[in-house]
Amino acid sequence: MTTRRTFLATLLAASTAPALSWADAGNPAYLGAARDRDGGHALYGLDAAGARIFRIPLPARGHAAAAHPDAPEAVAFARRPGTFALVIDCARGRVAHRLEAPAGRHFYGHGAFVAAGDVLCTTENEIDTGEGRIGLWSRREGYARIGEIRSHGIGPHDILRMDGDVLAVANGGIRTHPDTGREKLNIDTMRPSLAWITPDGDLLDAVVLAPDLHRNSIRHLAQAPDGTVAFAMQWQGEPGDAVPLLGLARRGHEPVLLAAELGEQMAMQGYAGSVAFSGDGRSVAITSPRGGRLHRFDVATGAVTPYRRGDVCGLAPAPGGFTATDGLGGIVAVGRDVAPLAAHDGLSWDNHLVAIGA
Amino acid sequence: MRAVLTLCLCLATPLAAGVPEAVRDHALPAADRFARAADALAASAEADCTAEALRPAWNEAFDAWLGLAHLRFGPLETESRALTLGFWPDTRGMIPRTLVGLAADGDAAVDDPAAFAEVSIAARGFFGMEQVLYGPDAGYGHDSYACRLAVAQARDIDRMAAGIAADWQDHAALLTSAGAADNDTYLSTREARQAFYTALVTGIAFTADQRLGLPLGSYDDPRPERAEARRSARSLRNAVLSLEALRDLARTLAPGPIPDTDAAFDAALGTASRIDSADLSSVADPARRLRVEQLAQEVRAIGEAAANEIGVPLGVSAGFNASDGD
Repeated sequence: MTTRRTFLATLLAASTAPALSWADAGNPAYLGAARDRDGGHALYGLDAAGARIFRIPLPARGHAAAAHPDAPEAVAFARRPGTFALVIDCARGRVAHRLEAPAGRHFYGHGAFVAAGDVLCTTENEIDTGEGRIGLWSRREGYARIGEIRSHGIGPHDILRMDGDVLAVANGGIRTHPDTGREKLNIDTMRPSLAWITPDGDLLDAVVLAPDLHRNSIRHLAQAPDGTVAFAMQWQGEPGDAVPLLGLARRGHEPVLLAAELGEQMAMQGYAGSVAFSGDGRSVAITSPRGGRLHRFDVATGAVTPYRRGDVCGLAPAPGGFTATDGLGGIVAVGRDVAPLAAHDGLSWDNHLVAIGA
Repeated sequence: MRAVLTLCLCLATPLAAGVPEAVRDHALPAADRFARAADALAASAEADCTAEALRPAWNEAFDAWLGLAHLRFGPLETESRALTLGFWPDTRGMIPRTLVGLAADGDAAVDDPAAFAEVSIAARGFFGMEQVLYGPDAGYGHDSYACRLAVAQARDIDRMAAGIAADWQDHAALLTSAGAADNDTYLSTREARQAFYTALVTGIAFTADQRLGLPLGSYDDPRPERAEARRSARSLRNAVLSLEALRDLARTLAPGPIPDTDAAFDAALGTASRIDSADLSSVADPARRLRVEQLAQEVRAIGEAAANEIGVPLGVSAGFNASDGD
């Protein structure tokens, strides 16, 4: 006999098969959130040349999106300290699920898929203690909350899936409380880290900065094909202090910090907004919207090439280098030079550009 | 009829509104004036490099620099020119340390302009030179290393000023052709408007938060030693000249009348004229500090007025990502 439970299960199976792929959403190369001319917000799918493939309205300004590896789904996070995230069905152009942070938790703005896309990991704050958490959500069960693990630090922000479902987590080190918005509560004692964590929550390894750099909040991450993690930082001291804002790390090795010469480094104003490796993994770059700068480093030599672009922030790999977006609607290719790809006049691209399948 | 009239009013504000005016009437004259003043500074140094002889030309050149220093994009960003010419605040004491190092080594870079251009930016520009002309060793003689250093600094400022003026000729064409198919720098007219508007609001914030905010510190912990160009007693003058330059930019950039912004500039400049402390050391005097606090508040109010009267009609605002911080 058909019970209600099996009926529902059959229905669920029918509705999820055949599985949709990113091709059903027009094969976007990138996802980017933007503010529209009229002040509304939307998630855009873009092709490799920066042209629009789809536009899906969002209810508010987001921070970053996590793209599912196969299915045309993106999770858009509210700006911190946000308590909701939206799973966007990019093929049908609608919100498929709404994730609410559990009581006593809020999202920090990034997420990553593991278990072949079955489990979404989200960076979160345990508000009472300020301890970082990684929330676990089951896609198969309609993005139900299935558990959480420690982030082994305070203020986890960006998160990456590494080989073997190891998680790399940027513990920014800054404690905040929703009652005080983005106010930083522990600048004097902050101790950011880059942690490698198993899906069970065990700490495998961590990078901690030298004491004189303890105010350098490790915030965003990128991964090279060989597993090297690039971490971008935001300095909580004087903006002109010209400290390094980019590091390269491998498990079991001392991190390498990269910086430009004094004038260019000062121009970054102590702030890196996004980080990415180039498509070939030979270069790594960071953006500073405050400085209107993109700094590209040769991974092998550390040699830096600075580029200028007003309010530039979003950054993702491209076959010949990088694709970058800015607050004025521009999308540029960063190869030997900066070359315009597209000008979406009236749009303001938000912090991050997400490469599909990266 | 009303609909037609509205349409006409919209079209009367062309998409490039303000940018050609800001280029022609503000940026290019300021770059030329600075180049001439820097040229005179180099000539003065070559004639007599002692501190007392050089100070007038250095002050004139610094005045001219403040007419341009807020345009922190394009030509001023090439080769870190703006940070080199205006290496302030020097939070880590790099200027005295670098200059002491050069003198201790007797570094011959001071005799070769190309080599001196490669010296740390902390040793160059107006603040490196201020340390030489107004620092503890300003009584140096004609045959001293300090004299050669002052000549090198003056020539280096002149070289950068000439480069800025030349580059501004090219940059003017880029700004006024924003959005053209062959323009790889400004992809839309909004980007050109945004460049000037960002310079305006960033300049206002810099004067409020840094030039005034750093020495103000807090009531319980005033920091007069942090004032800009304190040794040469230019701290207040720099704030005033910068405000006057920003007012000039605001007026040329605005697509229409800006009564609130003008009134805000008038209020701030009026308050500044009543501050009797050239180096802003009055921030440490509880009775006189209030006026500097008032000035800082009035400068911030300029930014609010400009956002309404200039940013809104130009369709631009503070940097979307630059002001987010996440």
